[in-house]
Amino acid sequence: MSPTAAGLLQVGLLICALAVVHRPLGDYLARVYTGSRHLKVELLVYRLGRVDPGSEQTWSGYAVGVLGFSFVGVVLLHLLQRVQPWLPFDFGRGAVEPGMEFNTAVSFVTNTNWQSYVPETVLGHTVQAAGLTVQNFVSAAVGLAVAMALVRGFVRQRTDRLGDFWVDLVRGVVRVLLPISAVFAVVLIALGVVMSLKSGVTVDGQEVAIAPAASQEAIKELGTNGGGIFNANSAHPFENPNSWSNLVEVFLMLVIPVSLTRTFGTLVGDRRQGHVLLGVMGVLWAGTLAVVWWAEANGLRPLEGKELRFGVPASALFANATTGTSTGAVNSTHDSFTGLGGGTVLLNMLLGEVTPGGVGTGLYGILVLAVVTMFLAGLMVGRTPEYLGKKLGRREVTAAAVSILAMPTVMLIGAGVTAVLPSTRDALGNPGPHGLSEILYAYASASNNNGSAFAGITVTSDWFQASLAVRMLLGRFVPIVAVLALAGSLAAQREVPRTAGTLPTTGPLFATLLAGSVVLVAALTFVPALALGPVAEALP
Amino acid sequence: MIADSPQRTRVLIASLPDALRKLHPRDQVRNPVMFVAWVGSLLVTVFAIADPDVFTVAVAAWLWATVLFANLAEAVAEGRGKAQADSLRRTRNDAVARRLTAAGGEERVPGAQLRVGDLVVVEAGEVVPGDGDVVEGIATVDESVITGESAPVVREAGGDRSAVTGGTTVLSDRIVVRVTTRPGETFVDRMIALVEGARRQKTPNEVALTILLSTLTIIFLLAVVALQPFAIYSGGEQSVIVLTALLVCLIPTTIGALLSAIGIAGVDRLVRRNVLATSGKAVEAAGDVDTLLLDKTGTITWGNRRATELIPVEGVDERTLAEAALLSSLADGTPEGRSVVELCVERYGLSAEATAHEKTGEFVPFSAQTRMSGVDLGDRRVRKGAASAFELGDVTRRIVAGIGQDGGTPLVVAENDVVLEIGKQLLITRGALTTFSVANDLAKYFAILPAMFAAIHPQLGRLNVMQLTTPQSAILSAVIFNALVIVALIPLALRGVRYRPSGASALLRRNLLVYGLGGVVTPFAGIWLIDLLVRLVPGIG
Repeated sequence: MSPTAAGLLQVGLLICALAVVHRPLGDYLARVYTGSRHLKVELLVYRLGRVDPGSEQTWSGYAVGVLGFSFVGVVLLHLLQRVQPWLPFDFGRGAVEPGMEFNTAVSFVTNTNWQSYVPETVLGHTVQAAGLTVQNFVSAAVGLAVAMALVRGFVRQRTDRLGDFWVDLVRGVVRVLLPISAVFAVVLIALGVVMSLKSGVTVDGQEVAIAPAASQEAIKELGTNGGGIFNANSAHPFENPNSWSNLVEVFLMLVIPVSLTRTFGTLVGDRRQGHVLLGVMGVLWAGTLAVVWWAEANGLRPLEGKELRFGVPASALFANATTGTSTGAVNSTHDSFTGLGGGTVLLNMLLGEVTPGGVGTGLYGILVLAVVTMFLAGLMVGRTPEYLGKKLGRREVTAAAVSILAMPTVMLIGAGVTAVLPSTRDALGNPGPHGLSEILYAYASASNNNGSAFAGITVTSDWFQASLAVRMLLGRFVPIVAVLALAGSLAAQREVPRTAGTLPTTGPLFATLLAGSVVLVAALTFVPALALGPVAEALP
Repeated sequence: MIADSPQRTRVLIASLPDALRKLHPRDQVRNPVMFVAWVGSLLVTVFAIADPDVFTVAVAAWLWATVLFANLAEAVAEGRGKAQADSLRRTRNDAVARRLTAAGGEERVPGAQLRVGDLVVVEAGEVVPGDGDVVEGIATVDESVITGESAPVVREAGGDRSAVTGGTTVLSDRIVVRVTTRPGETFVDRMIALVEGARRQKTPNEVALTILLSTLTIIFLLAVVALQPFAIYSGGEQSVIVLTALLVCLIPTTIGALLSAIGIAGVDRLVRRNVLATSGKAVEAAGDVDTLLLDKTGTITWGNRRATELIPVEGVDERTLAEAALLSSLADGTPEGRSVVELCVERYGLSAEATAHEKTGEFVPFSAQTRMSGVDLGDRRVRKGAASAFELGDVTRRIVAGIGQDGGTPLVVAENDVVLEIGKQLLITRGALTTFSVANDLAKYFAILPAMFAAIHPQLGRLNVMQLTTPQSAILSAVIFNALVIVALIPLALRGVRYRPSGASALLRRNLLVYGLGGVVTPFAGIWLIDLLVRLVPGIG
């Protein structure tokens, strides 16, 4: 089979699998977040955490829960890395250096999983399993919880309650992330992913690092985390040994974000509302995939930076999925991509990661854009703008604006300062436009909580460690607070009955408009910067 | 397009002094988008004075022109309102009231000293000193100053024809009026305040749009400010003049410049049609219109009109019209109202009994101010009234005129109000110009980015699709286009985007095509054309 045919087959299989799975999983998610019964293990957790699972919070209470929980997560991860020498399975790797340790703690709590460390030499299995893997689960569950709070904002009427953050968090972990990743960890082991508590094996006199990879690999993709247990991430044969494991990992990245559109449609009582979001995500995803694939297949050295066992199509598929979701795992070196291919995966992040976006973050990201789209569309048909029966006024537009502004602001300021710092030249692997692309990529990755690395840039200096960590924090939590505020003001409203004059949000017109807004917001913001980086690279 | 009639040019020139006065930062700071343009103009001017050359001075001049044109738009709109307020004020000032004292006597006091509850006498030839209800007598009243309707109307004690409005003139007989409104809050006062914009607060939609425009401005500010370090990294540091020119071109100056003119002109149009909106908010709420319907009553004799026919318009089926007409007349006890009910029952088999749900509706009685009556039922608002009380589409207007020529009296029934398409038009105009403004940026990027960076990355010259002559001419052309488009769109802002009642999707599709796609294409052509002229200037081309 030719590589192209194999690639098309993989894409076809992937789409079929997602089409089949997203309905039951989406409906299951809807039940998880609306049911009133608690599992025994959940009640135990609530008792241990002294939480009353019946008490719902206002939007600000919910936000305080998210921020407080995440802050504690950073502190615990920080301590865990500092006390590593006294932990089992540390293999003498010592306490992690402060700048790196702060960056890593922030990175995993914010679901970014940017890795400025080399796992094989810096972290032992205890920190990996008890620290990073725990955050892989809970940071993804936080994203899910926030998305569900926003959906409740649309569904509920005249209430100031958005749900119970602690219940949402625990249910996300216990009922969604744990069972699915347990199943897929076994699948990945069967496909040849390593699972061992040893530090390494000696092969032909050479020490090769091994680790409990499969268990972390499943949640790494499912929770759109992306932090590899090996430095080479999913390009490493122990994390991603063959085409089948590659396809399973791509599937895991996409499955929850895709299913959430179904959950959304189910919960708002009109499945077509979810279909239209999925349609927009899908078209943009397919479009960028086609560009990356074409660009890489027609590059000067198509296989540079790619694993031979994957080839161009599977590398393009993985790269497009990892940047379109908020994952950031890599199975190839994006730095070696062509100007157009590398620029497109960068663009995936700059779109705000809504193709289909991270776990939860993708759904609330595109809903915020839908709010802005409907505001303008409402004006254009001469009605007080509304979306899903909720009026879009000053508070709603302000919250949406803050959420949308956060990422470009922190990204452009960070990348701008870095571009003129004298020390930057030494950190870059390449001069000229490609060097600028490397800077833009790093800051886009951190600001969007993606975590994938273009590579080719050395990010261990204090400036990079600190400035990227700040980007991850602001890029994660400013939109979350804004989204919760939006949910709060939506939930407080009474639903406006839909009449003949209401603009429908289920047809191709709305889909086109929404897709246009997604592209336009990113294009207007980033075209000048991209012109000097990827565009200058890509133009002959 | 800039001045398609000498009259319009005259209006623009007459408003110039006001526009210049508005350059004061106190006025500018209220509009975030134009404030950024204003600061940019100032910045470039400083550089132009320090190091003058043709390009710098030209950019500075055109940036100021951008700000000035925005002021001009507002000044023209305000000017129109002011003229109208003056004529209204004349009707009010000279009113002297004949107040009845407790002792049964009569005293003459200025209209401004009346209190709510005072009883005043108005006789033939006198002006009603304030808003109130007739409590005694019957009179014919000339309300043309308020309504524009030259035929006098009858006002009498009791019933639904008892309301009189300050400023109107009693033509015959004598009435006693109980004052219901304090001086300064009367119908005419509110009308004056509204058109003068003295109490014109931003409507919720306007506030929300301003937030969106500010957001866009911040985004562009970021994009341009961050561009300089990237340019320095790439070895092509840019001058402040070029960066400022890029920024002013990108921020939504078109809508920012015209936003307040749109609002002022909208209220002005409303008042011209004799509809008093207590606030701009009410106007916008009225924009949530669903259907426009028409019915007809044949005149036999005054006071005994009977509805004879229902004529639906523009995609409304006859039964829907009958239902709306019935609903608007159920609580209307006048002979006209009853005849509409009868017609609907006889011809369309509808029930004259209100359902339990319909009974929960709130009946809105006829009043001289609105000249319409109707019912509010949940979020449905059905109104029935004289054709002149409604802003009508072209087709409807023709039908109305036809009925009038045949000797009939047309009545208009409208669902979900009403006051008009003006509310809708206001929103549409803002939305359309925002879309246009943002869509324009694509062409501006294609003009300015190659001009900035083709020197360091020659391949970016390929993006110069308009084949603009030199970097200077490209940047200047974009700046000039950006300024001129404001002037070109002033008439549209004052008139409002044309609105035809149709489905929301059809309306959106049309406006996206005209203002979205049009907004993408127009600047490519405009900038290219301007470049043809600008390149002739020595030092630019």
